[in-house]
Amino acid sequence: MKITILNGNPDPDNQKFDDYLNNLIKLLELSDNSVVDFKLREMKIRHCRGCFGCWVKTPGQCIYKDDSHDICREYINSDFILFASPLVMGFTSAVLKIAMDKLIPVLHPYIELVDNKECHHEKRYDKEYPFIGLLIEREDDTNSEDIEIVSDIYVRFAIDFKTSLSFVKQTDIPVQEVSNEINCI
Amino acid sequence: MKLTVFNGSPRGKKSNTTILLEHFLKGFMETEGNSYEFEYIVNKDEGKLIEMFKDASNVILAFPLYTGCMPGIVKSFIESLKPFRGKKDNPRIGFMVQGGLPESYQSRFVERYLEKLAKRLSCQYVGCIVKGGIEGTRMMPRFMTKKIFNYFYELGKVYGKSGKFDEMLLNRLAKPELLPAWRRLFYKFSRLTGMANIYWDRQLKENNAFEKRFDKPYIR
Repeated sequence: MKITILNGNPDPDNQKFDDYLNNLIKLLELSDNSVVDFKLREMKIRHCRGCFGCWVKTPGQCIYKDDSHDICREYINSDFILFASPLVMGFTSAVLKIAMDKLIPVLHPYIELVDNKECHHEKRYDKEYPFIGLLIEREDDTNSEDIEIVSDIYVRFAIDFKTSLSFVKQTDIPVQEVSNEINCI
Repeated sequence: MKLTVFNGSPRGKKSNTTILLEHFLKGFMETEGNSYEFEYIVNKDEGKLIEMFKDASNVILAFPLYTGCMPGIVKSFIESLKPFRGKKDNPRIGFMVQGGLPESYQSRFVERYLEKLAKRLSCQYVGCIVKGGIEGTRMMPRFMTKKIFNYFYELGKVYGKSGKFDEMLLNRLAKPELLPAWRRLFYKFSRLTGMANIYWDRQLKENNAFEKRFDKPYIR
């Protein structure tokens, strides 16, 4: 399986989180997955300005040349995407959200009714879009309500991006469990 | 009352969020003695924004829905408010979320986050104005946009007087929460005829990109 990890840890001093991911990557590679990981805080990504240039000027590509092109390329060619981030003020990091906003080039501007219920943009690529999973690190004040709020928003993201949310895991469980979960997809 | 508005639109000045806020503020200013400060988040020095938040007694944070949530720059702003957690005398806070897709329902998930955020900051929560279908206002006939803008004006007016978002106005503005059956049927039909895509096709043609609209640049 081809896996892409978006590491949204904003804090270089939070080595614990990066170590957790590195261990996870090792395990995933041992079970024959190929893994690409993006350390978002070290990448050059201009935030999305909502110009829709990626839909109406250079279809499928952001009009700005930044590192988001590499992320979109890996994204659309992966089987599974892991969004990984410590919670900051009750949600995954801004670094991660800035990168996620820049994924809309993989969608098409045209709109369809999903499940005959709500409007969402169509696929750009005629293929299965990657499954997604969410790995978070708790804050001091994180409670079950926070986890529910974050999970529900990622379920919404999954609907936008033509897939489903496979799991939400926290970094207080053994890495092996997360790796097993991914291998089951 | 004195109000501090943070406009979280990544488009900045030329944005739907700005237009809606203008109508809201027009209503807000109907009450004598009211005044407001207005600042864009995009490309702004974080220190200045924090200073404004510190001095504020009433805050409204407004933004467009991006992939079912707040835009990345708005999350950055929220993270910069971390030092205010649990402090006394934080401002009362209200929100405005507008979405491009037609259903207000799409914004309800981030609304829950915002309510929790207010609690986390120990700010009194005023509420959240939610409206979908705003990207389409550029193509709407004037009588339709007038109705929407008037709701924002009225909401501003009540808020200017009472410091509250009027529940009934919020509910009426948010309609449709989800599309009714006839609108879904109409939409399916207009997709068959290509009518539904006019908004995008026009822009694609203006940019000489119509032939490239199905490009798949990243496929391996």
